[in-house]
Amino acid sequence: MNRPRALIGIVVATLVLIAAVGLIPVARAADPIRIGLGMALTGGLSANGKPALLAMQIWKDEINKKGGLLGRPVELIYYDDQTNPATVPGIYTKLLDVDKVDLVVSGYGTNLIAPLMPIAIERKLTVIGVFGLANNEKYKYPNYFQISPTGPDPATSTATGFFELAAKQTPKPQTVAIVGADAEYPQTALVGAREIIKHHGFKTVYDKTYPPSTVDYTPIVRAIKATNPDILFVASYPPDSVGMLRAAHEVGLQPKIMGGGMVGLQFTTIMNSMGSKLNGIVNYDYWVPEKTMMFPGIAEFFKEYQPRATKEGVDTLGYYLPPYAYAAMQILGDAVTTTKGLDQQKIADHIRSHEFSTIVGKVKFGKNGEWAKGRTLMVQYQKVQDGNIEQFRQPGKKPVLYPEELKSGNIIYPYSAALK
Amino acid sequence: MRHTAGTLLVGLAVVAAGIAVAMLRVNPYLYFAGYVILQYVVIATAWNILGGYGGYVNFGTPAFFALGAYTAVVLIQWIRAPLPVLLLAGGLVSALLGLGIGYLTLRLRGVFFSIATLALSIVLQTMIMNWDYVGGSRGLSVLRPSGPPFGNYVVFLFTVMVALAVGAVTVARFIERSWIGRGLSALRDNEEAAECMGVPTLRLKLFATTVSGFLLGVAGAPFPYYVTFVEPNSAFAIDYAVNALAMPMIGGTTSWIGPVIGAVLLGSAQQLATVTISSEMNLFIVGVVLVAFVVLAPEGILGLVRRLRGR
Repeated sequence: MNRPRALIGIVVATLVLIAAVGLIPVARAADPIRIGLGMALTGGLSANGKPALLAMQIWKDEINKKGGLLGRPVELIYYDDQTNPATVPGIYTKLLDVDKVDLVVSGYGTNLIAPLMPIAIERKLTVIGVFGLANNEKYKYPNYFQISPTGPDPATSTATGFFELAAKQTPKPQTVAIVGADAEYPQTALVGAREIIKHHGFKTVYDKTYPPSTVDYTPIVRAIKATNPDILFVASYPPDSVGMLRAAHEVGLQPKIMGGGMVGLQFTTIMNSMGSKLNGIVNYDYWVPEKTMMFPGIAEFFKEYQPRATKEGVDTLGYYLPPYAYAAMQILGDAVTTTKGLDQQKIADHIRSHEFSTIVGKVKFGKNGEWAKGRTLMVQYQKVQDGNIEQFRQPGKKPVLYPEELKSGNIIYPYSAALK
Repeated sequence: MRHTAGTLLVGLAVVAAGIAVAMLRVNPYLYFAGYVILQYVVIATAWNILGGYGGYVNFGTPAFFALGAYTAVVLIQWIRAPLPVLLLAGGLVSALLGLGIGYLTLRLRGVFFSIATLALSIVLQTMIMNWDYVGGSRGLSVLRPSGPPFGNYVVFLFTVMVALAVGAVTVARFIERSWIGRGLSALRDNEEAAECMGVPTLRLKLFATTVSGFLLGVAGAPFPYYVTFVEPNSAFAIDYAVNALAMPMIGGTTSWIGPVIGAVLLGSAQQLATVTISSEMNLFIVGVVLVAFVVLAPEGILGLVRRLRGR
């Protein structure tokens, strides 16, 4: 009685499985050049994933308006990776084997790039990573490139500028507290910070991490305040950046210089909601609307991006990730045009050996596919008012303090002076 | 005896079919999708041994699964152990956890047991996050061994998963048909009465948590080689807990085939949704289907079929 039923069950199960997979392949037009990617459209990183995708779509629309690449239209095929690394192998296999994409780009973020690396290496693909921190350090894969300007030594990229600025102030600060979340990026940043602190000879008075799920940051901030540091370096993700900053204001924590590696303070919604609480914070950034950062094409990009972003309800200013996502596509497109084909190796060789003019400036790749020379900015929030999103479109609210060649303003020091 | 031989035969046939599919080298995406679905067959079956037969709802599936995965990570980091060792070790460590948790928590009944298992998952995740050797909260990239059978590691993992799924289902079927299964269903219906009737409830429960833990650990052990990047958030993903519960519920919890049907249906639907509609639909589908089944067919598809047959 039961055996036939079991057999039927197995047969049905197999059929369903085959049907499920059989349904997936879609008719494929021969014409367009297909670029595939997985992107965080839901989950923790979606607030940045969506703007990044929009920037790539803008590039695609513009290139198609100009007649496409190699005379063929460009098509973007993307799936939502749900900010879950476990979905990435499946997504890229689908892209490569079912959708037959010609080129791939990575999704946003270190954790989502990591599972793509073995696939890329196995299939000898050229990959441009979008904001991955040190993804290639283990593999040293020559055909991987990374678009965020962290430079050849990603771990120290945020700490370098921050502590260099601190060391230049008079009177020179002496003691330092470092704090960060128990998560991928903050951990890496803290390792870098310790190295740089040693280099400058500061005295560490506090060095602790907190779980990413922390809700109340006041105990942490109080503990830091008790050590009375001159410098506070924070490496945090968006929710804890906001939490730490609020707690610092509540407790009245006022070191002489504070910030460093706080992810999230660059995002429109957070800048808007934090308002004047941001004043005085010295933090890393990748692009700000300052005179020194006006590279050719960037103004036009934002003219296109900002109305579309507002319409789609994603990051309305889009200064953090979108220009770089766009630049990644520019580089890829440029390489395809110049090498006159879709040969992965030729494209990689071209990207490795040339300098590219993009909307984020000149880009040249070096060691491990990172920018040959880092360009992580240090900016300070100055005279920010509450509840005014328009103010961030003007220069002066976030002047660049570091590096020297892009400097557009002066630091207000100590921190307490910037609060006035 | 004839039953056992038949089961074995069917099992071997499925494994052979799996190997044949692997030799065919059809579209590689099939192996990825198939792997995930089969992995859920193992997880759902394992969950059902404790949850379906015994009536103890375990929300800690991610803990057991991730423990299997992280045991594998440790062994890969330490001695680059081969896959069979990883499977066995992952299973054993998770079984041990199952046994331990059984001793500690089975005095808790109903919802309190469930809460305890949920807490277990969180505690374990926090520990892993602070253990640098396995990557801590930053995660760890795992390099696959070169030169796998079938020429491709994912195809190889797919066949391994076929074998594991068959193994898990066989174990579940054996338990269901033996006195153990009858004992478990007695204690599901009324634990005091079962105890009074001489059913060794504690021993049975410990057996169920251990076997369930073992199978979940085995399901998790190949995970590092599948994603090649392990980090706590994805290894301890809540999806595993939700799916482990939803799949048997949809298929039917009283029989070994229930979780299989549930896993295949829901697993395929999820794979399809991810690449066609949108993955926001993914958990939404699970939710809607689960609610629909709880309301309309509380005994799952199996119950529905039985009802339609008028039994």
